[in-house]
Amino acid sequence: MLKVDQLSKDFGGLQVIRDLSFQVADGERRVILGPNGAGKTTLFHLLTGVKQASSGNISYAGTDISAMDAVGRASIGIARSYQKNNLFENLTIRENLMLAASAATGKSNWFIRDASLHADVKTRIEETAEMVALSDQLDMMVNAISYGNRRQLEVGLALATKPSLLLMDEPTSGVGPAMIDRFHHLLDSLPRDITILIIEHDMDLAFSIADRITVLNFGEKVFEGTPAETRGNATVRQIYLGEAK
Amino acid sequence: MFYQTHLRSIALILALGFLAIYASFGSYFAREIVVEITILAILAISLDFCAGFGGMVSLCHGAIMGIAAYVFTIMGVKLGWPSLPSATLGLLAAVLFSGMVGWVTARTSGIFFIMATLAFGQMAYTFFFKSRWLGGDDGMGGISRFDLSWLGLDLNDALVFALLGVGVLFLVYVVASILLRSGFGRVLCGIHSNENRMQAMGVNTAKHKALAMACSGFMAGMAGIIAAQHTLYISPELLIWTVSGEVLLVVILGGIGTLVGPVIGAIILIMMKHELSNYTDYWHMIVGVVLILAVLAGGRGVYGQIEVWLEAFFKPQAPKEPKEPTESKEKEQDLA
Amino acid sequence: MDASFWLLQCLNAMQYSMLLFLLSIGLTVIFGLMHFVNLAHASLYMLGAYFGISVSAMTGQFWLAFMLSPIIVTCIGAVLYFTLIDRMRGAGPMNQVLVTFGLIFVILDLVRLGWGDIALGLEAPAELSHTVSFWGISYPAYRLFIIALGLVVMISMWVVLRRTQIGAMIRASVENADMAASLGINVGRLFFLVFCFGCALAGLAGVAAAPIFSATTTMGITILIPTLIVVVIGGLGSLEGAITGSLIIGFLETFGAVLLPSLSAVLTYMLLAAVLVFRPQGLIPARG
Repeated sequence: MLKVDQLSKDFGGLQVIRDLSFQVADGERRVILGPNGAGKTTLFHLLTGVKQASSGNISYAGTDISAMDAVGRASIGIARSYQKNNLFENLTIRENLMLAASAATGKSNWFIRDASLHADVKTRIEETAEMVALSDQLDMMVNAISYGNRRQLEVGLALATKPSLLLMDEPTSGVGPAMIDRFHHLLDSLPRDITILIIEHDMDLAFSIADRITVLNFGEKVFEGTPAETRGNATVRQIYLGEAK
Repeated sequence: MFYQTHLRSIALILALGFLAIYASFGSYFAREIVVEITILAILAISLDFCAGFGGMVSLCHGAIMGIAAYVFTIMGVKLGWPSLPSATLGLLAAVLFSGMVGWVTARTSGIFFIMATLAFGQMAYTFFFKSRWLGGDDGMGGISRFDLSWLGLDLNDALVFALLGVGVLFLVYVVASILLRSGFGRVLCGIHSNENRMQAMGVNTAKHKALAMACSGFMAGMAGIIAAQHTLYISPELLIWTVSGEVLLVVILGGIGTLVGPVIGAIILIMMKHELSNYTDYWHMIVGVVLILAVLAGGRGVYGQIEVWLEAFFKPQAPKEPKEPTESKEKEQDLA
Repeated sequence: MDASFWLLQCLNAMQYSMLLFLLSIGLTVIFGLMHFVNLAHASLYMLGAYFGISVSAMTGQFWLAFMLSPIIVTCIGAVLYFTLIDRMRGAGPMNQVLVTFGLIFVILDLVRLGWGDIALGLEAPAELSHTVSFWGISYPAYRLFIIALGLVVMISMWVVLRRTQIGAMIRASVENADMAASLGINVGRLFFLVFCFGCALAGLAGVAAAPIFSATTTMGITILIPTLIVVVIGGLGSLEGAITGSLIIGFLETFGAVLLPSLSAVLTYMLLAAVLVFRPQGLIPARG
């Protein structure tokens, strides 16, 4: 279980996250909604340890991880995909996935054996490529594939580390309807033992995959509930849905 | 990402074969040149390891080499240790210094990394330059070569020494290529490509970079031990920053990020130097012009360029993707 | 060690600091503006000294050499700008370091070809060849002149950068070149002007230094490292940084050499290492 307790973050007096508390159960699909500047990406920075909270606590699987750095949090199974593609541009898709798989399985400390030849790593590359539908392009250079494929790889890099908690920052940002369908399919097919937090702007996708939805506005939690409850809530409609539609 | 392609194996065999033959059938002078080439080539492989694959363009590799040579000489000449333990300690000193530099500079990049390594290198240079006990700018002599008579080898024979040097060069290449193909080396390339993402996937990149510098320091240390054994005399000149600059030149000239390119770069530079110095006193200028041209020509280096051409020649069929304009670029990066 | 000793050393340190300042200010502004590391900057300093000596020898007039030499060096700088520097601007630090490293070799051998390997001297002009006595010490007038020259350049640079239109343009471009370009500043021309100005100051430093240290083929390489250290310690691209850095290094090296001769040289590098580790942006960075 991921437990966020009274989390706050300020940048030079500006409060980006304000007294935020919520819990995500194991295996849950939690969608984070909120207008631009609501602090969603900052929340992800705080959860992954890229930035440290000004106050408050984060605990995951029963341990307090507030003081843990990004590397430490990644190694206990928290993975993240980025809103802007953050890939290994001059390497192939296979090499990208191989790096993720080696990093997550400690093969970065192998000084003699070639991690890319290891059976575990190989199957993981193939499985992940299958999941994100990139199997037939494994040997393409990342800087030569389409934007949509890169979005898929972005998620693939996070998946290849076999996370138990996956934070996805707008996986469908900038892609067309066909690709959104693919992502929908991908999210549906992910094993239920992965807990997923997802920032998503596509309402249909968000409402159909979410178990629960947390709505942020100006760094504060303004609502939390099931998709149906969220749809019916007046505040949410006003600050978010009203603005979007 | 590093792959020991057939082309690279062939190029390495040709280069080492050439050195061995040149030493075997050449004069005493040729053998001296071969030793000079092997020292520079080992140093260049060591720099290519961290600069070409890890993105750490160091300007202190001369100093790392010099530290190994100095510690080896101090132990052997000043303290009278046998040569093998002295050499081990020299290598250890190089590894520690280099790893320390890598650790301290792990959070800097680009020009700041270059400047930082320049500073650490010059610090070591100044230390030895000013040290009266170690002979200051006069350096130290009195070094003797390894006694390998139990193997039936006499290192005081120029040919034996040159061939052994070529052997060590081969060994260092093998060590570097194994490291680069290992999980560690792959992740090192990943850090070069995108350090931030590598961290997000749970890799302690600072530790990784420091370790990579330490490995590189081991190879540079090998060059230092051979250099001390070669001239039987060392001076702070070994550590000066222009030596490191020259090593970087060799790496670029041969082909950065190819591992075998630096060996070829070293052959070209030393041969060119010796040929030119027969005709003119001003060969530095020609070296400078060659360096500028090498960078202006795209910075792929002699071997790097040949690799790109040959790859294009042997794989002429256009791949299924309609990406012709970027194709050559992809290849070059693939090889890097 | 009485008061006059300290005064004397302070003057020596000031004079060295001013030379470092004349060199580092060009280097640092060029870096801040163009993100270009010009290792050959110190070679231009060497050229300044040699051209000064030649002009002076031909005409017998020190002050003419003093004026002409920076102009000649600037012309050489302009040629370099159009043939190499401009082309290498986006090529990344490693390629820039390599190309300018190559240039050092080329300029070095050209100087050897033109002037030979022996050290050449330059007489200080007659009106400054005496010594001045004050507060119980006597000090060469020419060295006081160098200190004054450095201070004048320092103050006029400050006035230009802080109080004039072109200064505002330079500061805006250091801050954000793209933004400056979109505000209608001709960034390319500005780069060229600043580069030339940096070369002129390097040439000036060279000819000014020639009467104190004689001109040798190694003078460029020798001063390059302290100059780079000044730039990095001060903060790349910053005028105040260059001033602070020059004073720190000038005083540290001068006093280190007399007070802690065994440690002095290592001290400078330790300071640099400490700055790089704890404050990699430099003491007074150009950007907040």
